[in-house]
Amino acid sequence: MRSELLKGLRMLDLSDEKGALCGKIFADMGADVIKVEPPSGCSSRNIPPFLEDRPGLDRGLGFLAWNAGKKSITLNLACEDGRQLLRMLAEQADFLVDSFPPDYLQSLGIGYETLAALNPGLIHATVTAFGDRGPGKNYKAADINGWASGGAMFLMGEEGKPPIQMSVPQGWLHAAAEAAVAAMIAYYARAADGLGQHIVVDMQACVAWTLMNEQAMPLLHGDYLRRSGVFSGAVGGRRKTVYRCADGFISFIIAGGPYLGSTNAVIAWMKEEGAAPDWLTREGGLKSLTPTSFMAATAADLAELERTEEAVQKFFLGKTKKELWANILKRRLFGAPVADAADIAEDPQLKARGYFVTVEHRGLDRTLTLPGAFAKLSETPVGPQGPAPGLGEHNDEIYGALLGLSAREIVELRAVGAI
Amino acid sequence: MGKLPFEGIRVLDFTWYAVGPVTTKYLADYGADVVRIESAARLDGLRLAPPWKDARPGVDRSQFFASFNTSKRGITLDMSKPAAREIFLRMLPWADLVTESFTPKTLRNWGLDYELLRAIKPDLIMLSTCMQGQTGPHRDYPGFGNLMAALSGFYHISGYSKDEPCPPYGAFTDFIAPRFSACALIAALDYRRHTGKGQYIDMSQYEAALHNLAPMLVDYFATGRVLGPEGNKSQRYAPHGTYRCADEDGHERWISIAAGADSEWSALTKILRIDDSAGRFATMRARMGARDALDETIGAAVRGRSAEELTETLQKAGVAAYPVQNCMDLHRDENLEAFGFWRWLDHKEMGPSPYEGLEHRMSRTPGDLRRPAPALGQHNDEVFREILGMKDDEIERLRRDKVIY
Repeated sequence: MRSELLKGLRMLDLSDEKGALCGKIFADMGADVIKVEPPSGCSSRNIPPFLEDRPGLDRGLGFLAWNAGKKSITLNLACEDGRQLLRMLAEQADFLVDSFPPDYLQSLGIGYETLAALNPGLIHATVTAFGDRGPGKNYKAADINGWASGGAMFLMGEEGKPPIQMSVPQGWLHAAAEAAVAAMIAYYARAADGLGQHIVVDMQACVAWTLMNEQAMPLLHGDYLRRSGVFSGAVGGRRKTVYRCADGFISFIIAGGPYLGSTNAVIAWMKEEGAAPDWLTREGGLKSLTPTSFMAATAADLAELERTEEAVQKFFLGKTKKELWANILKRRLFGAPVADAADIAEDPQLKARGYFVTVEHRGLDRTLTLPGAFAKLSETPVGPQGPAPGLGEHNDEIYGALLGLSAREIVELRAVGAI
Repeated sequence: MGKLPFEGIRVLDFTWYAVGPVTTKYLADYGADVVRIESAARLDGLRLAPPWKDARPGVDRSQFFASFNTSKRGITLDMSKPAAREIFLRMLPWADLVTESFTPKTLRNWGLDYELLRAIKPDLIMLSTCMQGQTGPHRDYPGFGNLMAALSGFYHISGYSKDEPCPPYGAFTDFIAPRFSACALIAALDYRRHTGKGQYIDMSQYEAALHNLAPMLVDYFATGRVLGPEGNKSQRYAPHGTYRCADEDGHERWISIAAGADSEWSALTKILRIDDSAGRFATMRARMGARDALDETIGAAVRGRSAEELTETLQKAGVAAYPVQNCMDLHRDENLEAFGFWRWLDHKEMGPSPYEGLEHRMSRTPGDLRRPAPALGQHNDEVFREILGMKDDEIERLRRDKVIY
């Protein structure tokens, strides 16, 4: 059932993987999102990994995930008939999102100015890697380049080894979601005077925004942070953030400040099980754990915290992820399992909230399970509205019912390669 | 220039730390009157978090807090006191939105929940955002976004290998959830505009963040495969990685490179003067099959080059590349500069301070950091006079009683 939240609004999604999440968020909120693809299919259909590792236009896992609930039409922007169709569609759309190089659509005669002349209410968002004004405005960028450009990558990895990215790349997702927020703001603004506008999103800035203000550190404290593997430089000195346990890893932090209660609670647990070393249980043994040590730990504090980390690491090695998680919840510790897809799929919390949603994918002749509502809205529930579309699956519906073209006209446009 | 989109929208904002304040910042930078309700009795932890003005801590010296709270006003109420609750309820009719980001029991303990607030303000929109949502067995789980990044799978796919995890920096999911909650809030405002109906938004940081890992979950449910960390290896590009360039003034510099098509590879070999006449890496299949050797070859070829110059040269030849910028580099990055990312605002206590600007630019109703973040309780007199018509002596008494605190 379509969400009532943005029902009746229409978005043309000309983006590839760089902007896909923008349209996905809109589709989840009930907007009619039409993915406009070249006749050979959007390049994002060919991005691995694939379902069962078998390539195919409907098998890319990212494509299936971030295009769920959209419609698909084919349209060839390289020919004038195709561009004319786009102009007709833009007249009937509220939003258009693209991820082409900044001047590309303009060069084809279908840039924002042109489309706005036809539909002054159109809101057009362009997702870029490095903005539309700097020397890099036409730079090519894979996700890894955006991740590198915004400072997040330099902070991820071991000292002396290459900086790394996550194995599900994250840079473009931030930019695409930013496009969704900006488009919503512009839509709210449109009610005042009916006018749309053009939005430029900068992935590099989006990535820089994830750094918890570490990016201002050089100006205020005079130095920049280095990457340090599983250690964090940001929490009370160099604190270990990932511990090995019996069957995997657990994220945990031993520190003062906001972590003090949790640190004392894990020590109490170790005592209960006779696993706390003597020096930890001696009266006043852990001098560093005052609330202020988070802010101004001395060298002695830090040495003591390090010894505590070693003891806790030893203790955790004898525990499974599940045991640790159960105790984290019971004892209100600041920790979390380093969960993998299987842990998440089985999480009782997500199950209790009915989070995952299963949709029927007719082209694949199977069901697919997707992340569900990104928020629970009491009046207007949101969530995946259906599977990702097959290539051109909605050509007849959009060109026929929406644009009012006859079956014959559609056949002709197909014949000249416009559709 | 027209008026800002959210001019006239009023928000009573209980949120703290990151997700909530970043969400309401979108509204504030675009014209909403966002009043942060804080308390010295329950200080927003970000107020104590570095970086600090002159590297010296203090509740009004954190740039971390400041960056996330631009364009807002700030008042203080110790909500554990009944008199503070009464003042909040007197302010409620003024507001369009109430936002909060405590663990679910906090508002209940104050005797406040959506039903009660709605009885006073029938078309109220309220956002509650917390780690795992307002319902379910783990709803009261406290924590920060770094733990959530572990729980929601980001840590597991981060590392050189399964045995060598390397988490993403910081509270990663704190920077995913706000965009989802901002979309939901703005859409709810729009829905109210059409229907007159408010609503309650229950936001789980966990459930929003999982959208950024959707392919991994689709895969698991469909095939049972559990994706793990693979360093910089990609199934789409080869080469795909970071390579150390020449140091600059004693600082390490790296370049990120991604090449897919054979033509890109061939351009790369010319620029890097890599001799592949034996054709060892000539096809994508060959490069995919020998990624470690490929990385070594490129690593050796770029070690003496300047990351910036090499980026320019590679980009001219159509190869995706960019220097791996550290936090210092971000301040001299020409593209961020051209986008106008860095902004200096004059904070009441901190003086001129560096703020991150918006990550997008709008052509007709551009948002802006309209003012620096509020000092703790900076707008108490102004807000209580304006919204409640309080007299100075009442404000003074409430201050003395540590209700305004």
